[in-house]
Amino acid sequence: MTDKKTEEDMVILEGTNLNKTYRSAGRTVTPLREISFQLHRGEVLGIVGESGSGKSTLLRVACGLERPESGRVLAGERDLTGAGPSAAGKYMQMIFQDAGASFNPRHTMRWSLEEAIPAGADREQAKQQMRSLLRETGMSDDLLDRHPSALSGGQCQRMSIVRALLSGAQILLCDEITSALDVTSQAQVIRLLRELRENRHLSILFVSHDLALVSMLCDRVMVMKEGACVEEGETQKLIREPVHAYTKELLGAAESFAV
Amino acid sequence: MKIKRSVSDQRKKQRYRIIAASAAAVILIAVALLAPMLSPNDPYRTNSAIIRHAPCAAYPFGTDNLGRCVLSRVLMGARTTIAVTFFLVAVSFVIGTAIGLLCGYYGGRIDDLLMRVADIMLAFPQMVIAIAVAGILGGGIAGAMTALGITMWTGFARLSRSHARTLRGMPYIQAALLSGKSGPYIMLHHILPNVLEPLLTNALTQIGTTMIGISGLSFLGLGIVPPQAEWGSMISESRAYIQIAPWAVLFPALATILTILVFNYLGDAVMEYRMAERHT
Amino acid sequence: MAKELLSIEHLSASYGEKDVLTDISLSVKAGQIICIVGESGSGKSTLLKAVHGMDRVRVTGGSIRAFGSPVSAMTDEQRRSLLGGEIGLIPQNPAGSFNPIRPFEAQLRETMQSHGRQFDPAETARAFEAVGLADARGLLRLRPYELSGGMNQRVAIAAAMLLKPRLLLCDEVTSALDVTTAGKVIRELEQMNRELGTAILMVTHHLGIARRMAEKIGIMKDGRMIELEDADWILNAPVQEYTRQLLRDVPKLAGRERSGEESAGGLDDR
Repeated sequence: MTDKKTEEDMVILEGTNLNKTYRSAGRTVTPLREISFQLHRGEVLGIVGESGSGKSTLLRVACGLERPESGRVLAGERDLTGAGPSAAGKYMQMIFQDAGASFNPRHTMRWSLEEAIPAGADREQAKQQMRSLLRETGMSDDLLDRHPSALSGGQCQRMSIVRALLSGAQILLCDEITSALDVTSQAQVIRLLRELRENRHLSILFVSHDLALVSMLCDRVMVMKEGACVEEGETQKLIREPVHAYTKELLGAAESFAV
Repeated sequence: MKIKRSVSDQRKKQRYRIIAASAAAVILIAVALLAPMLSPNDPYRTNSAIIRHAPCAAYPFGTDNLGRCVLSRVLMGARTTIAVTFFLVAVSFVIGTAIGLLCGYYGGRIDDLLMRVADIMLAFPQMVIAIAVAGILGGGIAGAMTALGITMWTGFARLSRSHARTLRGMPYIQAALLSGKSGPYIMLHHILPNVLEPLLTNALTQIGTTMIGISGLSFLGLGIVPPQAEWGSMISESRAYIQIAPWAVLFPALATILTILVFNYLGDAVMEYRMAERHT
Repeated sequence: MAKELLSIEHLSASYGEKDVLTDISLSVKAGQIICIVGESGSGKSTLLKAVHGMDRVRVTGGSIRAFGSPVSAMTDEQRRSLLGGEIGLIPQNPAGSFNPIRPFEAQLRETMQSHGRQFDPAETARAFEAVGLADARGLLRLRPYELSGGMNQRVAIAAAMLLKPRLLLCDEVTSALDVTTAGKVIRELEQMNRELGTAILMVTHHLGIARRMAEKIGIMKDGRMIELEDADWILNAPVQEYTRQLLRDVPKLAGRERSGEESAGGLDDR
C-alpha cells in the first residue's frame, strides 16, 4: 500500500518559478510570471484561464518549444530547461488545438504516424502498436492511407493522440484540444483520454478555457490569469469552494452553459 | 447547378490551356533536341556562292552573310538557347530554394544578411546587373549564365523563405520537433513538399525571361559568341544588312518571340489554375 | 400574433452536387430566439447560407420568404440592402466579411452609412465594451489582420449590434471564444432581443447555448430537421435518441449537476 502511495506521489513533470516575456507589436507581454506546477504520475492536471492567460505558453515552455527567461523544467531527475523539444519529446508530447494542422497536408496519415516512431525502436513492433492504438481509439486502418484533409477534426485529434503515444512518451500536453470540435467529437476525445489514462497510466496536462470540460477529466485544477496562478486545488474542492473571485467568474460562465 | 457548372467549365478551360501550352512547349523542346536531324544543311558551313540568298526550296529561311543556312542555324540555335535556359533555371532553382529554406527556417543574422543581398539584387533591373556582370566577365556562355543567375536565385529564395517562415510555426512541424527530428529533415520532408508547387510555377515563368536574357546578352556580344548558333547573336550579326537580307533577322527573331510566348503562356496558365484552386 | 419575419417552407437545397438540406420548414417571428443545433456537416450552416443567399447554395425545392418577399426572386442588390438593414449576419468566420487591410473605423462607418445610419463613436465604444473589447478607440484604428480570429469575431458581433437589425442570423458565433467571453456575448444578444425586440436565428453545436437563449430549438442531422420544438420540450423530453445523445455530450461541471441530472461526468452512461 505504501509502495503504491509513493508511486502515485512521484512527480513526473515539474516547473518551478517559470518566467517568460516577449515584445509584440511594441508592447511587452508577460505570459508567465513566477509560475510553478507539479504533475504527478498518472495524474491529470487541468489548467484553466482565458485566452492570453499564458496557459498555452506554459505548455510550450514545458516541452521546450519555447525557452523560459528563468525558472526550471524537470522531468523526474532530468533537467529539461533549455534542452529543446527533441530532448523533451522523449518524456512528453503535445496535442495541438488545430487538429487539422497537426499533420502535414502533403503526407498520408500513415507517413505522419510512422514518423513519430523513435529512431531506435523496433519498427515492426511499433507498427503493430500503431494498429492496436487505432483500434483503441476507435478508428479503422483505412484512415491511414488518407491525407489529413480527408479526416474530420475529431479524427485528426484522435490521430494526434495515437501519434503522441507511438513516440513512447508518458506525458501528454493538451492545448485546447477540443475547442475546435463539436460537442459530440469533444465528448469522444475526452472519453478517450479518460480510458488511456486508466489503461496506460498516462499523466496529462490539460489546458482549456472551459472549467466544465476540465472538471470532467482532471484530478487537480490550476487557474491562471495574466501569467500567474491565482488558485490551485483538487477539482471537486475548487468547484465547491472557490476562493478567488476569478475562479468564481469562470465557474459562473461554465455553469451558465450547462444543460 | 448553373454556378457549379460554370465553375467547373472554367476549370476545364484552364486545364485545356495548360495542356495546349505544354504540348507546344514539348514540341519546341523536341525540335531543339532533334535539331541535328531536322536541319536540312550544315549550320556552320559557309558558302560564298550563295551569300544572302532569299528563301528557296533548298534554304527555306534563306542564307546569311556567310552563305550559312538560316533554318539550320535557327534549329541549332534553339538547342543552345533552350539548353542554356533550362540549365540556368534549374541551378537557380536549387541554389535559391536551399538558401530560402535555410533563411526562413533558421532566421537570425544569416537570414538578415542574405535577404538584404537579395533586396539589393532586386532593386536593379535584372538586365542592367546582367550586362554589367557579363561585361566584367567578358562574354561566353559561362559569363552570361553567371550574369543572369546572380539575380535569378533571389526569386526562388524569397518565395521559399516566406513559405518556410509561415510553415515553421505549424503544429505538424512542432510535432516533428518533439519527435526529435532535425532542422534539415524538417526542411526536406515537411517544408519542401509544401513549397514545391509555387516554386515550380515560378520556375516556369522564369523560362521566358531567361531566354530574353540569354538572347539579349548574346545580341550585345556578351553571351554566346559566333560562330555558335544562337538566336540573339544571329540577329546581332545580321542586322547590319537587314535591308538586303531581312530573312536572316526575321526568322531568329520570330523563333525567339514564339518560344518566349509559349513558355510565358504556360507559366501564366499554371499560375492561374493554382490561384483558382486556392479560391475554391 | 407576432409578425412573421422569416418563413421557410419545405426547403431542399444542394451545395455543388450534394444535397445538403432536405424538406426543412421553419418560421421566425418578431422577437423570437430560435437555435438550430447539430454537428458539423449536419447542414445547419447551409440553412443560414440559403437564407442570406450570399453563398453558392442552390435551392432545389420549397421556399424562403424574408419580410414577406421570396428570397430566391431577389436581385443581389435587393439582397444586400436587406442584409445589414433588416437582417443582420454574424458569420462563423468574420475574417471573410472584413477587408483585412482597412481600419475597422472606416469599414464600420461605411457599412453604417450605406444603411442610412450615422457612425457614432460613443455608441460604438459601448457596443465594443459589451462584447468584451476594451479600448474601442485604439481598436477602431487597427486593421482586421492585426487581430486574432476571436477578436475579429467580437468586432463583427458589435457591428451587427450597431446596425440594429430586426432579424439577426448567427452562425456559430461563440465557438471561437472563451467561455467567459461567450457568456458576455450571449448576454448582449439576449439584451438586444429584450430591449429592441430583435429576433435571433442562431446556429450552434452547443446545446448549452441553446438552453440559455432559445425559445425554440431545432435539431439537425444529415440535412434534416429531426426535431423542432419549444426549448423546454427538447431539453426535458426529447423524442429523438440523437437529441438525448447531444444532451449527454455537453460538458457539465462535475459535482455540481443541476437537479435531475443522471450522471456525474455525463459521459459514463453510454
